[in-house]
Amino acid sequence: MTILSQLNAPPIYLICGGIIAFVAVLCVIFLIRAWRAGLALGMDKTKMKRAITASATFSLLPSVGILLGVIALSGSLGIPWPWLRLSVIGALHYETQVAQTAAEQMGMSKLSAAEMTPGSFATIALLMSICIMWGMILSVFFNKKYTQKLTVKENKTGGGFGDVAMTAMFIGLVSAYMGSYIGGFVSGKGRFTFMGDWTPIVVAAVSALVMPGFVYLAEKKKKAWVESFSVAGSMIVGMAAAVVLGLLVK
Amino acid sequence: MENNRNAKWAAYTRGTHRIGRICTVITLILLVGAPFLMGTYLGALPDLGAVAKAFLAVGLVWTVSSVVEFLIYTPMLGAGGGYLAFITGNLINMKIPCAVNARDIVGAKTGTPENEIISTLSIATSSLVTILVLALGVLLLTPLQPILQSEALQPAFENVVPALFGAMAYKYYRNHMNVAVAPLVLMSALFILVPSLISSTSMMIIPSGALAIGIAWLLYRKQKKGV
Repeated sequence: MTILSQLNAPPIYLICGGIIAFVAVLCVIFLIRAWRAGLALGMDKTKMKRAITASATFSLLPSVGILLGVIALSGSLGIPWPWLRLSVIGALHYETQVAQTAAEQMGMSKLSAAEMTPGSFATIALLMSICIMWGMILSVFFNKKYTQKLTVKENKTGGGFGDVAMTAMFIGLVSAYMGSYIGGFVSGKGRFTFMGDWTPIVVAAVSALVMPGFVYLAEKKKKAWVESFSVAGSMIVGMAAAVVLGLLVK
Repeated sequence: MENNRNAKWAAYTRGTHRIGRICTVITLILLVGAPFLMGTYLGALPDLGAVAKAFLAVGLVWTVSSVVEFLIYTPMLGAGGGYLAFITGNLINMKIPCAVNARDIVGAKTGTPENEIISTLSIATSSLVTILVLALGVLLLTPLQPILQSEALQPAFENVVPALFGAMAYKYYRNHMNVAVAPLVLMSALFILVPSLISSTSMMIIPSGALAIGIAWLLYRKQKKGV
């Protein structure tokens, strides 16, 4: 029996699938509670429906991207464990890096099925769990105090700057990533060589250029439903541009 | 009427924290316990010494990153959204933009019950979509693998995040250009001059966000004085 067939055995699927099912149930509970609370507060049903639709369409493409992460890791860690890690808690960029470091600590030259043993798999899996659990631990101890403090502050100041600050923080987040794409192109292969990867810049630019079309339809043509699909639609065109670019450059 | 509404909201919030805490602890136990359970089945338990060594090598960086993520993202996500997002992961590349987008579409304000509801609905939906897509993907892995891994489609999947942030950039920059210019210019200059920082982009969100908040604060004060 090869290591991959051991890692893809039904009991491993059962363990990982069971945890995923637990988290899925948890999401449904939160969803139903929030929906009911919204109705009890007199919130507009249409608004809540739009938030759900927009979030569902928004998440579709990144989820397919995450599926690729499962495929990439399945060659060395089997299918069920990467499936669990990337369905729950994990982050695409994190899993590969930690798994690789753990493999090196186990004396493996690289993360691969050829060098994997049941013991090294169990060790790598444990490290992947431990390294990224701190957000959850902090939530258990501090989420209540932290969110209550923020709500109180908001009430005291009359609901002004808190909202502005959150928007600004998000602008800062987007700017950091945009800057990294520009920096990657200009200095990615040596400072000021302009030899780095320019695909992310083109993809971001195309996606940003498509977005006004959706905004126009939503705001000027009063097709509010379009807004729910605006980010997903722009992303598809941006990603399609990457495919075209890949074919042209090749 | 208003008292009744407040009481309902207080009960909902209390319930959210109770369920959130209990379920987070259960998930933690399940995630840490799973490697031992799988190890028992496979006939080899995790090597705790190697785990400790590897944790010192890579885990500490992620611990710092987790603290920063908690401090920055919890206010954006609210209580319910916060518990769920830290359980389900993929924050920067999906949950945060998703919740911000939903909040924006509905026009909910930070710190309000409406924002809390919308954020929770958004994160729960987003998590369920990911779970569903991954479950279907795993089920159909054999027929899907050649398509998803085809050479032609690779650039598309390698650029999901730039596509996402491109769309979000337009959405947020167009009404807040005065806030966005400085962080964008500064971050670009920093990454051009110190390209090694590109691998730490998630940490560079802190100075970039701080600068944006600082500028927004100055503009806010100026606007308030003008009123």
